[in-house]
Amino acid sequence: MASSALALTGLVAIATPAKAADCTGTIAIMAPLTGGVAFIGKEQSGFAQVAIADVNAKNGSKIDFKEYDTQLDAAQAATQAPNVVANKGVIGVVGPAGSQEVLAVGGLFGANDIAVVSPSATRTNLTAGTYPSFFRPIPNDGLQGPGNARYMVQKLKAKEVAVIEEKTAYGTGLAKEFLAEMKKLGVKATNFAVNEKNADYAAVVTRISKTADFVFVTFQDAAKSQQVAQELIKQKKKAVVFGSDGSDQPTFKTPGTYVSGFAPDVSGLQVAASAVAAYKAKTGATSITTFGPPAYVAAQVIAEAAVRACAAGKIGDRATVLAEIKKTKIKKTILGGSLEFTATGDVKGGRFYIFQTQMDGSRKSIG
Amino acid sequence: MDYLGQQLINGLTLGGVYALIALGYTLVYGVLQILNFAHGDVYMIGAFLGFFAMTWLGGPLAPTVPIALMLLVMFLIAMMGTGLLGIVIERFAYRPLRNSTRIAPLISALGISILLQNGALLIFSPSIRTYDTSSYIPSTLGFSIGEITIDSVRLGVLVLSAVLMILLTKWVNGTQVGRAMRAIAYDKDAAVMMGIDVDRVIRWTFFVGAALAGAAGVMNGLLMRGVSSGMGLIPGLKGFTAAVIGGIGSVPGAMLGGLLLGVIESLAQGYLSTNFADTITFILLITFMLFRPNGILGRPMMVKV
Amino acid sequence: MSNLRIGTDEWVAQHEERLASQSPLNKLFARIPLWAKWGSFFVIAFVFGAFSDNQYLLRVGVNLALFLMLSYGLNIVVGYAGILDLGYVAFYGFGAYGYALLSSEQLGQHWPTYITVPFITILTAILGYLISLPSRRLFGDYLAIVTLFFGQVFVQLVLASDNITFPWADDYVDITAGSNGIPGLDTFNFFGFIFDDIKDYYWLLMVSVLILTIAIHRVSATRIGRAWRTVREDALVSEVMGVSVNRVKTIAFVAGATIAGFAGTIFAGMQTSVFINGFDLPLMIMIYAAVILGGSGSLAGALIGATIMTILPELLRVPNYGAILFFVALTLTFFVISKKFNRFLIYVALIILIGFAFQLAMKAIGVTQANAEDWMVGLTGDLLKNWLFVPENRILWGNFAFILLLTLIAFFSIAKPIWKQVLLPFIGFTAIFLWEVRLIADVSTTRQLIIGAMLVVLMILRPQGLFGQTRVEIL
Repeated sequence: MASSALALTGLVAIATPAKAADCTGTIAIMAPLTGGVAFIGKEQSGFAQVAIADVNAKNGSKIDFKEYDTQLDAAQAATQAPNVVANKGVIGVVGPAGSQEVLAVGGLFGANDIAVVSPSATRTNLTAGTYPSFFRPIPNDGLQGPGNARYMVQKLKAKEVAVIEEKTAYGTGLAKEFLAEMKKLGVKATNFAVNEKNADYAAVVTRISKTADFVFVTFQDAAKSQQVAQELIKQKKKAVVFGSDGSDQPTFKTPGTYVSGFAPDVSGLQVAASAVAAYKAKTGATSITTFGPPAYVAAQVIAEAAVRACAAGKIGDRATVLAEIKKTKIKKTILGGSLEFTATGDVKGGRFYIFQTQMDGSRKSIG
Repeated sequence: MDYLGQQLINGLTLGGVYALIALGYTLVYGVLQILNFAHGDVYMIGAFLGFFAMTWLGGPLAPTVPIALMLLVMFLIAMMGTGLLGIVIERFAYRPLRNSTRIAPLISALGISILLQNGALLIFSPSIRTYDTSSYIPSTLGFSIGEITIDSVRLGVLVLSAVLMILLTKWVNGTQVGRAMRAIAYDKDAAVMMGIDVDRVIRWTFFVGAALAGAAGVMNGLLMRGVSSGMGLIPGLKGFTAAVIGGIGSVPGAMLGGLLLGVIESLAQGYLSTNFADTITFILLITFMLFRPNGILGRPMMVKV
Repeated sequence: MSNLRIGTDEWVAQHEERLASQSPLNKLFARIPLWAKWGSFFVIAFVFGAFSDNQYLLRVGVNLALFLMLSYGLNIVVGYAGILDLGYVAFYGFGAYGYALLSSEQLGQHWPTYITVPFITILTAILGYLISLPSRRLFGDYLAIVTLFFGQVFVQLVLASDNITFPWADDYVDITAGSNGIPGLDTFNFFGFIFDDIKDYYWLLMVSVLILTIAIHRVSATRIGRAWRTVREDALVSEVMGVSVNRVKTIAFVAGATIAGFAGTIFAGMQTSVFINGFDLPLMIMIYAAVILGGSGSLAGALIGATIMTILPELLRVPNYGAILFFVALTLTFFVISKKFNRFLIYVALIILIGFAFQLAMKAIGVTQANAEDWMVGLTGDLLKNWLFVPENRILWGNFAFILLLTLIAFFSIAKPIWKQVLLPFIGFTAIFLWEVRLIADVSTTRQLIIGAMLVVLMILRPQGLFGQTRVEIL
C-alpha cells in the first residue's frame, strides 16, 4: 500500500516539471531614480515592479527585483554593471533608460548572457547587431523620425516646418532622422538646436518664421512642448506643434496639436487599465507618461521568459532566459499590440501612431 | 525692428526673473560675504508652493475664487513660505559657520541644496508639474504694438518684477532694517558697535532675498514652464552670474545684471545660431568680466593691508 | 546677540586644536612617521589589487583613484594657491575628449596611446596656462565666476559642435558628436600591452596616484609650495615680499590642469566612451565637497575627502548599510546631546514608550497596518516589527512624518532648554518612523539625503575640514 502510494507520488513528481513556486530570479532595474530625470526612472521602475507582481500572481513564481540608480549617466551604469553581473540571481535587466548607457554596458551584459530589455533607449544603431542580448519593446528613432516627416508632408500637407531639437541623446537622434527625411521629401525644414537645460522658449518661438506650418519638437518633458504651443499662440504664429512620443503626456494639451506615439493611448486601453491602476496605487502618482508602460512590457518579457525557463527545469539560468526572450510572443501587451522581436532585438512590425489633441485635451488617433 | 522689439520683450521678461533671483544672492553677499548656493533651490520650493496653493484653490481647471485673488494667494503663500525657508537655511547652514573661512559655508549650502532637492523629490514625487496657466488665463489675452505681441502673463510678470524691485529699493534705502543692512555690508564691526542687532538684520536679509526668489519661482510657473525638483540649478547659476556681472553686493547692480543677462540670452538665441547661443553668451560674459572685473556697478574690493 | 569675536586671530582660533593635539591619542598618531600613514593606504590598495578579482570593487577603486587625482589637482589650485576655480572639471573633460577624438572613429584618428596621452596632457597644460591669463586681472569671487564661465563654455562648445554649419558648405560638420557622446574608443595600448581588463587600469591609476602623492608632497615643501601658501594667505604681502603672484598662480593653474587632463585620458581609455554630461557641474561640486571636507590645503585631507565621497555613495546603495549608518548616527547624536549616560537611557526609554503609545493610538483610530512583508527589510525590520506601527498608506504618512520632523527640528533649535528635552524623544521617534516607513523603500533618494545631511553636519562640526587647520579670514 505504502509502496504503491510512494510509486504514485514518484510518478507524479516526474510528470510535474519544476513547480512554479520554486521559480526564482532577480530582475535588475537600471534607471535614473534620482537626478534631473528622476520622473522617468521612477515611473519605469514602478511599472516594472507591477509587471513582475502580475507575472508572479499569474504563475505562482517568486521573481523579485533590484533597483540600480544610474541617473542616466553612462559612467554610473558602467560602474554598477559588474555588480549586476556578479549578482548570481540576476536573470535580466530592465533598462538602462538611456541609449548612451546601453553603449556603456551592452557589451559586458552580452558577454555574460544577461538580457538587456530597455524601455526607452531608442537610438537606431543599438540594434545593428553589436549587442546580441539587447532588446527593446518600442520602435526606434529610425522609425519615428522619418515616419513623422512623411505624415506631415503627405497627410498634413506641410510646406515648411521648423524643428526644435533638444540636445539630448534622444532628441538629437530623432531630429536628425526627421531632418534627413524632410530633405529627401524636398520640404524646407529649419532646425533650432537648444540646450536641454534651457527653460524659456519665447526667444526661439519668435524666431520661427511666419510661414512655417508645423514645429516638430523632440522634448522628453511635455511641459516644454506645452510652453512652445502656448507661445506660438501668444505670438500669433501659424505653426502647430507636432510632438514626438516624449510629448505624449497629459501636460501637453493644446487643442489642435499632434503627437506621435508607439502605442494607442495607453490610458484609454482596456488591457492596460489594471496595470496603470496598480502603478498609481503603488506609487501615489496621479498621472503617467509614455516612459512607464514600456517598462512594464520589458519586465513582463523577462519575467515570463524566466517562468518558461523554470518550466523547462532551468531555474535562474541566464542563457536559457535569454533564449526564451528571443522567442517572445505576446498577443496583446499593455501597449495595445502584439510583441515579437526581430533577430536584432527590435519590435517586429513596430509602427507609430499619430494623435491629434482635441478641445478637451484628450487625444484622438488619426493615423 | 519688430523682431528686435519682440526679442527685447522676451529678454526683459526673462531678465526680470533672473534679477529677482540675483537680488537674493547680492543681498546675502552684502551682509555675509558668502554665496548662498542653496538659493536656486529656494526658487524651486517657491514654484512648488505656488503650485500647491493653486491646487488648493481648485485651479487650474476649477478655481473656486476669482483668478486675481488666486494669483495673489499663490504669490503670498510662495513668498511667505520661501522667506521662512530662507531664515531656516540661515540658522542651520550659515549661522554656525559665521566665523570660519569663506569656503565652508559653500559646502554646507551645497548640503542644504541636496537636501532640498531630494526632499522635494521624496515628498512631491518626481512628476513634473505645470501651472497650466492657459487654462485660466487665455494665451490670446494681451495687446500688440505693431507686430510685437505682449500677452497678459508676460506683461504681468514684467510689471510685478518692476514693482518688487522698486519696493526692494525703498526697503533698502528707506527702512531702518534696510539701512542697517547696508551698514553691515559696509563695515560689520562698526555696525555692531553702533548697536545694530546683526543677527536680526541678517535674518531679515535672508527672508527678503528668499521671498524674492519665491516670487520668481511662481512667475516661472506662470510663464508656462515646468516645475520639478531639479529646476533650481540653472536659474540659480544664472542668478549668481547676473549678480556678479552687475557687481556683487550692489542691489541696483543685481537688477541691471539680471535684465542684461536676460536680454543677452534672448538676443543671442534670436540672432545667432541657437546651437551656439549659450557658448557665445558665456564668451561675451567672460570678455565683459575681463574689461570690468568688478562688474557694472561693483565697488572695487578694498583690501586692507 | 552678536557673535563677534573681537581680536581673534589664528593663534587664538587654533587653541582647541592645540589642546586636542596634546591628548595621548593624537600624540600617538603624530609619532607615526608620514610614510607609514600614507603607506597604509597604498598597501591596502596594492594588496587588494593583487588578490581581488571583484569587477565591481575594482571599478570602484578605479573611480576612487580618478577622483583622488582630481582632488589633488583641485587641492593645489584651491587649497595651496587659494584660487577658487569653478571650472576645473573642464580640464578633466578636455583630457577625456582629447583622447576620444584621437582614438575613435569620430575623426577617424587612431593614434598610439604612448603618443596620445602625453600629447593631450601637455595640451591640457597649455589650456590651463591660457585660462590662467585672465586670472591676473581678477580676484576672489570674480575669478570664480570667470572660471565657471570657462567651464560652461567648454561644455556648451562640445554639445554644440556636432552641428557646425559653415555658410559655404551644404551639410553640417560633426566634430564632437554633441549629446550623443563618443563611444567605441580604443583602450590603452602601450607598445603592445593592451589594457583589456579593469585591473590594468587599476594598477596604472594606483601607481600614478602614488607617484603624484610623493611629487606633490615634495613640491609643497619647496619654494613654489611656500610661495603658493603665501599667496593664499595674503597676495598683497607676497607681492611686496618679491613673490611674483601672477607667476605663482599660473603655475598652480597649470599643475592642476595637467593632473586633470592626465586623469581625463585614463578615464576615457577605461570607459571607452565619453559623454559630456559627466564633465559638468555635478562632478565639479563633488570634487569641491571632497577637497573641502578633507580640509583644503591638506593632501591627506584630499585623500580622506575623496575616499568618503566615492565610497560612501556606493555603500549607501545597499539598504542594510544605510540602515546601519542611520541608526548609528542617530544613537551617536542622542549620546552626544545627552552628555550623561543616564539621560541617554531615559531618552531611549521614552522613545520606546512613544512607539508603543503610537501603536495603541493608531490601532484605536483604526488605521490599517501595512503588510509586514512589505516593509520588513533588512535586519532593522526584524528588530522593530513588534514595536513600530507602520501604516498602510506609507507615502502619505511618510511625507507627513518628514514635514513633522523638519518642524520639530526647527522648534528644537529655537526652544528653551527645558522644551528641548521634551522635544528630543519625539524627534527621535519621528526619525525612526520616517526611516522605516519611507526612506528605506526609496533607497536612491535616501542615499542623496544622507549625503546632503552629512555635508551640512560635517561642515558645522568641523568647518575647517577633517585635516584642515582653523583659519580665520581677516578682511
